[in-house]
Amino acid sequence: MSDSDQIIDSAELRELRDSFSGVAMPERPRLEAIAARGRAHRRHRRSRAAGMSVAGVVSATALAFAVTSANAPAPGHSTIRTLAPGTIRTTAFKIVKNPNGKTTLTLNPNEFLDPATLQSDLAKYGIPAKVTYGSFCSSEPAPAGFSQVVSLPPREAPVPPQSGMQPTITFNPAALPAGTELSFGFFQLTGGGQQASFALIDTSSYSCTSTAPGPAGPAEGAQLVYGTHPGPARS
Amino acid sequence: MSRDETGFAEFFQESWDPCLRAVAASTGDVLLAEEQVAEAFARAWVSWRKVTRHPAPRAWVVRTALNAGASRWRRRAHELPLADHDAAAPSRETAMDSVLLTALRRLPARQREVIVLRVFLDLDIETTAMQLAIAPGTVRAHLSRAVTALRNELAQANTTETDPCPTATR
Repeated sequence: MSDSDQIIDSAELRELRDSFSGVAMPERPRLEAIAARGRAHRRHRRSRAAGMSVAGVVSATALAFAVTSANAPAPGHSTIRTLAPGTIRTTAFKIVKNPNGKTTLTLNPNEFLDPATLQSDLAKYGIPAKVTYGSFCSSEPAPAGFSQVVSLPPREAPVPPQSGMQPTITFNPAALPAGTELSFGFFQLTGGGQQASFALIDTSSYSCTSTAPGPAGPAEGAQLVYGTHPGPARS
Repeated sequence: MSRDETGFAEFFQESWDPCLRAVAASTGDVLLAEEQVAEAFARAWVSWRKVTRHPAPRAWVVRTALNAGASRWRRRAHELPLADHDAAAPSRETAMDSVLLTALRRLPARQREVIVLRVFLDLDIETTAMQLAIAPGTVRAHLSRAVTALRNELAQANTTETDPCPTATR
């Protein structure tokens, strides 16, 4: 047995391995969810490459100026923060802080959403949220007050697929009960489209699951289905 | 299903759990690890042909997951502090409070990486060295130092358990 094997079989490392084997691990997500996320990455890369090639053409024509609209992301970047005060825009979502203290989030159904980016951007506007992709966190019982914090667009008649409709969610951070935060769980639906589930959770007691809430949405929460599959709907 | 798709599906099925345990052991947060590992597998799906040529595909996933986590923390370091948010307590289900796991998280990053690759992914010394772009002898040295540190932490914890309040007086 080599020195290294002796080290690897040391009591400390065996104990480390054993102590970890007792920790419950979340279930493996569905392969389709990983593949959907991978496809979104691929689209993202292609759109970025296309943006960079546009930038190259612009520079080749020796334009001495560039006009960057405050509402349009610059080429070559998927997560550009626009500099308009109170606005963060990425290709996947836009967050706008309104003068009345409320904040609106607009989702782009055609882009991959990076949960960590959305979570950190919401935090900048005083909206603590646990944002997950392929899983959803909830508390049992769910804290009261969800409807004072989150407003979804009114239920609308189904619209044709490919409509490109971008759902907007409004938040009132001032109404967030102490000791709570929001939970956003995004799921890629089989055959296209996305589901976004929302709830309030107790920051000190919640659990997460990779099973998407059913069509009725989470208890004491709300849910949006949007994108190219069934058209925007809410529960 | 193409050969590539089948290969990825098998790899994903067999490797999810060991990769998740390795990343969770390194970060100490199962939920965060789950998100990072899912992200790493999505990237592996995109670059599957490249990953299959890698000498240790699981190590590729683990390193990608840990790098994704590091990027996230770098981003968060520039964010405005938000009272009572960033320090949210983990749920009981995800808490890992073993003395050794705590000690593992206290190790220098390189020693922790060696432990994760060598112990949790069961890579041999040479492959671990290749992964970390260091010499095999350096891997052995890191492993040895890590074991010593873990041994000391364990001994200290045992002493505290035996005599929880050695200086208390009436």
